[in-house]
Amino acid sequence: MPLDIDRFAHVASPLQRWDPRVKLFTLGIFVFSVALIKTLPIALLAFCTAVFILRQSGLPYDFVASSIKWIIFFLLPFFIIMPLSYPGETAFELIGLPFAWEGLQIATLIFIKAVAIILTTFSMFGTARFDVSMIALQHLKCPKILIQMLLFTYRYTFVFIEEMRRMQIAMRARGFVMKSNIKTMHVMGNFVGTLLVRSFERSERVYKAMLSKGYQGELHSMVRFQSERQDYIKSALVLTAAGLILTLDFSGLFLPAKQAWF
Amino acid sequence: MHISDGILSAPVLTAGFIGTVAVAAYTLRKLDLDDIPKVSVITSVFFVASLIHVPIGFSSVHLILNGLVGVVLGMRAFPAIMLGIILQTILFGHGGVTVIGVNTMMLGGGGLLAYGVWQLRHHVNINKKEMIFGGLAGATGIFSSGIVLALSLVTTGEEFIATAGYTLAAHIPVMIVEALVVGACAAFLAKVKPDALAGQLPLTQKSSPVKEKATAANEEASK
Amino acid sequence: MSNKESNKSAIETSQVFFTYPDGHAVLKSVSCNIKHGEKVALIGPNGAGKSTFMSLLNGVSLPTNGQVHINGTRVEKETLVEIRRQIGIVFQDPDDQLFCPTVYDDVAFGPLNLGLPHDEVEKRVKESLALVGLEGFDERSSFHLSFGERKRLALATVLSYRPEILVFDEPSTNMDPLNRRKLINWLKESDKTILLCTHDLDIALEVCDRCILLTDGEIVADDATSKILYDRKLLEANNLELPLALMTHELLNDILKHKDDMNEDHRFIIGNFLHAHRHAHSADGEVHFHVHAHDDHTHTHDHPPHDHDHDHDHDHDHDHDHDHDDKHVAGAHQHLHTKPENR
Repeated sequence: MPLDIDRFAHVASPLQRWDPRVKLFTLGIFVFSVALIKTLPIALLAFCTAVFILRQSGLPYDFVASSIKWIIFFLLPFFIIMPLSYPGETAFELIGLPFAWEGLQIATLIFIKAVAIILTTFSMFGTARFDVSMIALQHLKCPKILIQMLLFTYRYTFVFIEEMRRMQIAMRARGFVMKSNIKTMHVMGNFVGTLLVRSFERSERVYKAMLSKGYQGELHSMVRFQSERQDYIKSALVLTAAGLILTLDFSGLFLPAKQAWF
Repeated sequence: MHISDGILSAPVLTAGFIGTVAVAAYTLRKLDLDDIPKVSVITSVFFVASLIHVPIGFSSVHLILNGLVGVVLGMRAFPAIMLGIILQTILFGHGGVTVIGVNTMMLGGGGLLAYGVWQLRHHVNINKKEMIFGGLAGATGIFSSGIVLALSLVTTGEEFIATAGYTLAAHIPVMIVEALVVGACAAFLAKVKPDALAGQLPLTQKSSPVKEKATAANEEASK
Repeated sequence: MSNKESNKSAIETSQVFFTYPDGHAVLKSVSCNIKHGEKVALIGPNGAGKSTFMSLLNGVSLPTNGQVHINGTRVEKETLVEIRRQIGIVFQDPDDQLFCPTVYDDVAFGPLNLGLPHDEVEKRVKESLALVGLEGFDERSSFHLSFGERKRLALATVLSYRPEILVFDEPSTNMDPLNRRKLINWLKESDKTILLCTHDLDIALEVCDRCILLTDGEIVADDATSKILYDRKLLEANNLELPLALMTHELLNDILKHKDDMNEDHRFIIGNFLHAHRHAHSADGEVHFHVHAHDDHTHTHDHPPHDHDHDHDHDHDHDHDHDHDDKHVAGAHQHLHTKPENR
């Protein structure tokens, strides 16, 4: 599982050159407008827009594809449950269960929207280093304390992944095999407990080291942002697209995937 | 366990964000200076531990441990779980930007409830109470999250009622796994490092032993 | 860097006690005085209280009783900010000290907390990274560095706020020989006040002029390195052992006592060892070892036979007793004839 969405943040592209503050703000609005879409044709339009934006990011396709694989896995059940459980007109019977086209429409709508949002997430956070994105969020009035904690958590995630790997190797070396029984759960409980005890000790040491270097509750950053006219032009383009999508969606030109959706 | 983008309706998404901001603002205000790095470091362990997959029959589930976060961090569980969800959203690229609020309410709320259940152990006097109440807390974390998830689906539209039912059913095995793991973990911590558990001393809410030591030392020094 | 009078103490503790609330006493009446420019080793077995002592120096913990003064300023709540810019602590595990997303951010952390202007921070980061040989690592994430690099980076993060006093906790653990050697050379050349908390006695032997031996929270000995680190009985009584370099010398001397039993192989091995040893240590062009090999049985030592202290500018008193037999062997090997010229 890739843990570093910013692996290709160094790849030069129009999105990478975009001032992260403006980029996150603009694409954030775009993402939320996608989440509000209720009609299939507009969802497809939004999906194409998301693909277009992603193409401007210069991120390798297989890197992005690995995540879409997961979302298919998560959303696959919807394609089965929704048509078979939709409380509406039955088109035909499938293995004795009523099959409704509306249910399939909803499942498709959900799927398209979800993928469009994920693609945009990559455009947002894949094109700048993680810490730069975080500082940009701080400039967008995200609470400082939250950003600071996110940065620390992010940093130590890697330390503990290493630690967990070492512990897993040690467990396997002693012949432990995971099974679905109480014994395994007990061992896993102790495993997590050991990790936690270590993290407590480490957190004390980290705090000491920070105090020693003059920490007083603030994380100062040297990251500086600069926005130019180009940044705002890009922003205007995406915002127009978002506005258009929402207007068309609400205009009634297209039928919602399900008539009575709120 | 988290809900994906594109499913829930706008009112549900908004409610999620409003609830999250309110509870987060309340719990974050209670954080001290030394909590910031400490809660962050401990959160990264929960984040890492939630990558562990445990086999159930032919399938496997990954640990969620929101109940354990409550058992260990007490009220600070909510911001910790929020951090975990934001990181997961951003780092894995599984999406979820629009559902950060709902997911935090779902798992973070479960964490807080688990903490409440965990604290009940002070009222009973039985053997292995850390294991029993840890297990209950672990189950509570998942159970209440399942309820919130089902509710958010049902309020989005009646066509999701069946989905909500299946989702709840799918939570039962997860609940059992979590109860066993969290129970074992709480018993382990009670034995190895009791001050790692939240609310271990009924009267002090804070569980940072070094700080207490330091303040005790400071008080004595100032005498 | 510091224009303080040399007689003023850099670190001064007077009757410092540290006791946990549960009554466990970690430090009991620790008094010591370290002057500017001194290089001191704080040695002692595990659990002796070394770490607690260190955390008192910059007020991460405050003593239960007694006082700590840094550059004449008492360590207390009100002075912590000032104290922490004067004393830099390099902890054992680099991962505890590198908590920022990039190398650059970690090194800039201290100067930024001092509120320095950004161009000054920039300058100091470059300078500190260059000092530890990590130029051009700015944008890397510290997690992706090797252990040796992280250890050096941890040092850079402290150097960047230019403390006058440097305290090291086990600076050489897990370091490969090359990096260890570089560190030793750096420490020897530094003009800062240095306190090394370690049980790597070899590094103490090479770097420090003075040793403080801490056991069970009490200072058992505080004297010149040449006195403490050569004192096998004292060290072993405190769960420590002679520095490896000195042990080797003892061993060799032992063997040399029985020169008649020695065959060509032994001579070859010993000779090679001494040869290699000399090269390893001869970066500064000096010859450091003193295993004597001559026929003069009446020869009396006017310097310690184990003298392995590289700091030749110092005059050590050599009156400590050695249960070492002063019988020397002739011609054990070619290299054994070498004697330091400066004695």
